[in-house]
Amino acid sequence: MLKMNNISKLYQTEMVQTHALRDFNLHVDEGEFIAVTGPSGSGKTTFLNIAGMLEPFSSGEYLLDGIDVGKLNDNQRADCRNQKIGFIFQGFNLIPDLNLYENIEVPLRYRGIKASERKRRIEQCLEQVGLASRAKHLPQQLSGGQQQRVAIARALAGEPRFLLADEPTGNLDSLMARQVMELLEQINRDGATIIMVTHDPELARRAPRNIQVVDGQLADFTLYQGAQNLKNVAGA
Amino acid sequence: MLEIKPIFHALCRSKVGAILLLIQIAITTAIVSNAAFIIQDRVAFLNQDTGYPEHDIFKFNVMTFGQDVDINQQIELDETMLRSLPEVIDAAMSSSIPLSGGGSASDFSLKPAPQEGLSVRTAYFFIDDHGINTYGVNLVMGRNFSEDEVLVTNNVDKRPSVTIVSQTLLNELFPKGNGLGQTIYFGETPLKVIGVVEKMMSPWLKDSRPDNLAFIPYINAKSLAQFVVRTKPDQRDAVMKEVENLMLKNYSKRVINNIKGLDELKNQYVAADKLMMRMLIVLITILVLVTALGIFGLTLFNISKRTKQIGTRRALGARKSAIIYYFLVENAMICGVGLILGCIAALLLGQLLMQHFSIAALPPSYIAGTAIMVFVMSLLAVFGPAKRAANISPSIATRTI
Repeated sequence: MLKMNNISKLYQTEMVQTHALRDFNLHVDEGEFIAVTGPSGSGKTTFLNIAGMLEPFSSGEYLLDGIDVGKLNDNQRADCRNQKIGFIFQGFNLIPDLNLYENIEVPLRYRGIKASERKRRIEQCLEQVGLASRAKHLPQQLSGGQQQRVAIARALAGEPRFLLADEPTGNLDSLMARQVMELLEQINRDGATIIMVTHDPELARRAPRNIQVVDGQLADFTLYQGAQNLKNVAGA
Repeated sequence: MLEIKPIFHALCRSKVGAILLLIQIAITTAIVSNAAFIIQDRVAFLNQDTGYPEHDIFKFNVMTFGQDVDINQQIELDETMLRSLPEVIDAAMSSSIPLSGGGSASDFSLKPAPQEGLSVRTAYFFIDDHGINTYGVNLVMGRNFSEDEVLVTNNVDKRPSVTIVSQTLLNELFPKGNGLGQTIYFGETPLKVIGVVEKMMSPWLKDSRPDNLAFIPYINAKSLAQFVVRTKPDQRDAVMKEVENLMLKNYSKRVINNIKGLDELKNQYVAADKLMMRMLIVLITILVLVTALGIFGLTLFNISKRTKQIGTRRALGARKSAIIYYFLVENAMICGVGLILGCIAALLLGQLLMQHFSIAALPPSYIAGTAIMVFVMSLLAVFGPAKRAANISPSIATRTI
């Protein structure tokens, strides 16, 4: 479903060349829930940006749903993002001048979905995240956890193939973080493929598959549950 | 993909900048439409046909201080000399000079004073039978003065009996068009209308009756006299240079001065109007520029304020064109409200100017034209910043700003 072969990302200034990713290889199958961890500056966000087509890569091959992303132009990438990917950002990235309904409506409008269909999807997603009664509220009238749930609803409304979450609980307290995580797990159980970047090892452990990025490369690749089992066996 | 509703809602929730901008647009529309109309009115005023070949005519003053001469006789000698010059078409003494801002005017009436009848304010020139040709005006009905109709006298009790008038004056006194051959009254003096000139302007272009003018064949020369000379095309400057010497050669005990072309006199008379027009042009240019800069600045400010929002929109699937479209629509909505208010303000301002400064009613076409111009200008002002916004990378959405 998602295949990255030898992806490299080079940031170049007059003085310095920085390899944010080098020879990065990853295959993700449909329905997976992957946690991406790694120290600061390791290239997690660059990986997420490239996976989400938010920035181009320098070399390598990236296939998303069989589409060669490297060959897409700007408009095609925008359309592909809109149709295939749902984003959940650390800072929620809700538009402060729009109410919840209008915020969730943004990607649907870009897709040209009819008003009646938009309404159905928005109401359904708000229901799913438990905020159906607050559709007319502005983001600043909600708590951080509620805002992130709205952002999740916005990501889900487009019925994407992928959810890319960038530190989705980074700005939340532990209770709110747990609620959001439970919501993501539920969404995954419902069939969505999720790639989540996180600093939090606790959260990462809840994902069935962990990958670690160090110095722009995939350093460790663990099926967490498998590893856990091995650990248990070793402990016994 | 219409985003009008969410853009409108977003504007309503964050409206201070938008309100300031729409007020600016409204003020610009109101002032520019009225100023443009006044400018157009002045341009028409400055470029109006006066009936004279202004570039071929000049005037000069003669102040005679010698006592050993019959001035009437001397003037005839001077006129003969001037008319004999190969560059000169004709020359005449004229009691007033058109377009100069100075002259004589009176009420010309259908009944002799003090009887009351239809009377019309009219400028008049005392001039001889060379007046028509010297001024180069077009006699459309009747005939010119004959030599014996020209009254040359020092006796103020003697009165002329005929006149040649402008078409406008005749139409005003005789709306049925039967004025030729009729008698009109210059005070108590009856004057038979023997000729009609198509168009000739009085000394005062800004008069309520600027083209009511009568030629009266009466020469009563005094020590201070004004001469008018019409030359062949492009010959005027040469004659103007020589005229003082030629006149003094004819008789030396006098001063020849104030030698000016008719176009120069007109320019002096309308100098204030030209200045006002230029100031208005500067004013509306500044206003339009300030408004354009205001829109440009506000859009740039909005973009820097909404960088993350724009990146997020791009991440959520907005094409670059959708971002440009967003800012254009947002600007069009602000501008639209500003223009509605501006059109109302323009009408009110036009009425105020009409009441207090005798300016004609502002035609709706000027308001519409200004509104379209301001709208296009605002779209152009917003397009550059909007394009810059569209180039914001979607990856900004994942960065902490």
